[in-house]
Amino acid sequence: MTNIPIPNRIRIQNLHDVRMQMKKFDIQDLAEFFLLYESKNQEIEPAVLLSKMDYHLQVMQESIIKGLQKPNVTSSGLINGGADHMKQLLQHNQSLVGPLFSKVIMNTLAVSELNACMGRIVASPTAGSAGVLPGALLTITQHKQIPREKVVRSLFVAGGMGEMISLNASLSGASHGCQAENGSASAITAAALLYCMDQDFDCIESGSAFALKNLLGLVCDPVAGLVEVPCVKRNVIASVNAIACAEMALSGIRTVIPFDEVVKAMDLIGKDMPSSLRETSLGGLAVCPAAKMVSNQKRS
Amino acid sequence: MSLFDIIGPVMIGPSSSHTAGAAKIGFLAQSVLGKPFKKVHITLFNSFAETGLGHGTDKAIIGGILGFRMDDERIPRSFELAREQGIQIEFSCEKDSKKHPNEVCIEFYSEAEALLLTISGQSIGGGAAKIVEINGTPVWFGGMHDILIIQYKDVPGMVGFFGEVLGDHHINIAYLDISRDAVTEKALAVLKLDQYCPENVTDIIRKNIHILDVISIRRLSDQYSNT
Repeated sequence: MTNIPIPNRIRIQNLHDVRMQMKKFDIQDLAEFFLLYESKNQEIEPAVLLSKMDYHLQVMQESIIKGLQKPNVTSSGLINGGADHMKQLLQHNQSLVGPLFSKVIMNTLAVSELNACMGRIVASPTAGSAGVLPGALLTITQHKQIPREKVVRSLFVAGGMGEMISLNASLSGASHGCQAENGSASAITAAALLYCMDQDFDCIESGSAFALKNLLGLVCDPVAGLVEVPCVKRNVIASVNAIACAEMALSGIRTVIPFDEVVKAMDLIGKDMPSSLRETSLGGLAVCPAAKMVSNQKRS
Repeated sequence: MSLFDIIGPVMIGPSSSHTAGAAKIGFLAQSVLGKPFKKVHITLFNSFAETGLGHGTDKAIIGGILGFRMDDERIPRSFELAREQGIQIEFSCEKDSKKHPNEVCIEFYSEAEALLLTISGQSIGGGAAKIVEINGTPVWFGGMHDILIIQYKDVPGMVGFFGEVLGDHHINIAYLDISRDAVTEKALAVLKLDQYCPENVTDIIRKNIHILDVISIRRLSDQYSNT
């Protein structure tokens, strides 16, 4: 095999380009590719990038711990100790499916509630969806005893998949609805989970495509304009969805629609979405009578 | 875009535009001021005014003004901490369709209630922010570069003067914006530099009798980075 030198800049438009470039430069590992991509384009040594990502992982871990220290209550009162309720449920062995499932929900709520309470989080990809990666990836990899170094590398896979969505659609709720925030968070989390389970490119692509497909069309309709209801619990659906989709891909199920085409579909759906359902709080749950009562209280 | 914009930034919640970006504007504003103050008056515009309070935009801006980074856990307590430093805080809200949805104007006052600086910033998404106006003069910078702001009497040869001083010290100018106020005959130059301009160099520039003020600001990545 002749070694083709890697250029000073790596240009990619979508996941198909990633696949082609990996072949061209004979790179087997998706995390390795995205690490190189970041290193070349930002002109920073891979070792420095790995240590920076390690720090981001550390902040994610701390955000779970802090989110579980005490019941999280926001000044609006819309968030009122959900993660703490889950903690009680777990302690009393009342889990419906099993403790691991409950723990994923609890940890996702913990980080998402901490964000709502002005705690310190890693926006991944956004602050409003910050509970998904820690809640699903960290909980499952801890359970599976995946080495920390591998989890750090998987965050480059997550970041790379997020970049593909950002280049071809959007990661912003104001622009493309919640599908762009929690949908994207779910897709990049599924990819990171499958990377940690030593899966190949096809499997990672399928799991990530499933996760995004399942949340297509999700609107952004925050009650009283706050990142609280329904955002916090939508983090849970994104997190649980990421695990379910990773599991389907792990079983060998493959996506009919390639990841790039799912992203394109998300982009078109986002562009068709009326502005009332894109973070303006003029539609959806935000205009329910109960929601309007909250908005009026906030104003008075 | 960096992958650390996707898995990041590390920030205080709940909103990258309404909280993290707001903190960054406050931080940039106090770097431009660069001296003590006793009072701030903050005007929130449009979406900042409508949903800002629920997103802690007010706390984030005050935190930034106190010199806190967007990931500083003291941000939720910023009002209390400002009060401890004897800083008086005033807020007002305005609607202005000509302004950016997430715009804020900050006025800094001295102990004697003298206006020290009026500065406006915009939160442009994902925690990124830009300073767009200083004392009524349009500018555009967001902390990606080292910045040098020079205010001077509008006489010929001033650009040549400070350009040569910087050149002598091997400091390269990446971008240069100049504007002047015909009434006051004062000009403002905003220079984006490849290197930070140290104090010994700003001192040389200050010695010129036409120079009114020189402010050197480090790029934010140096102060905001975690590694």
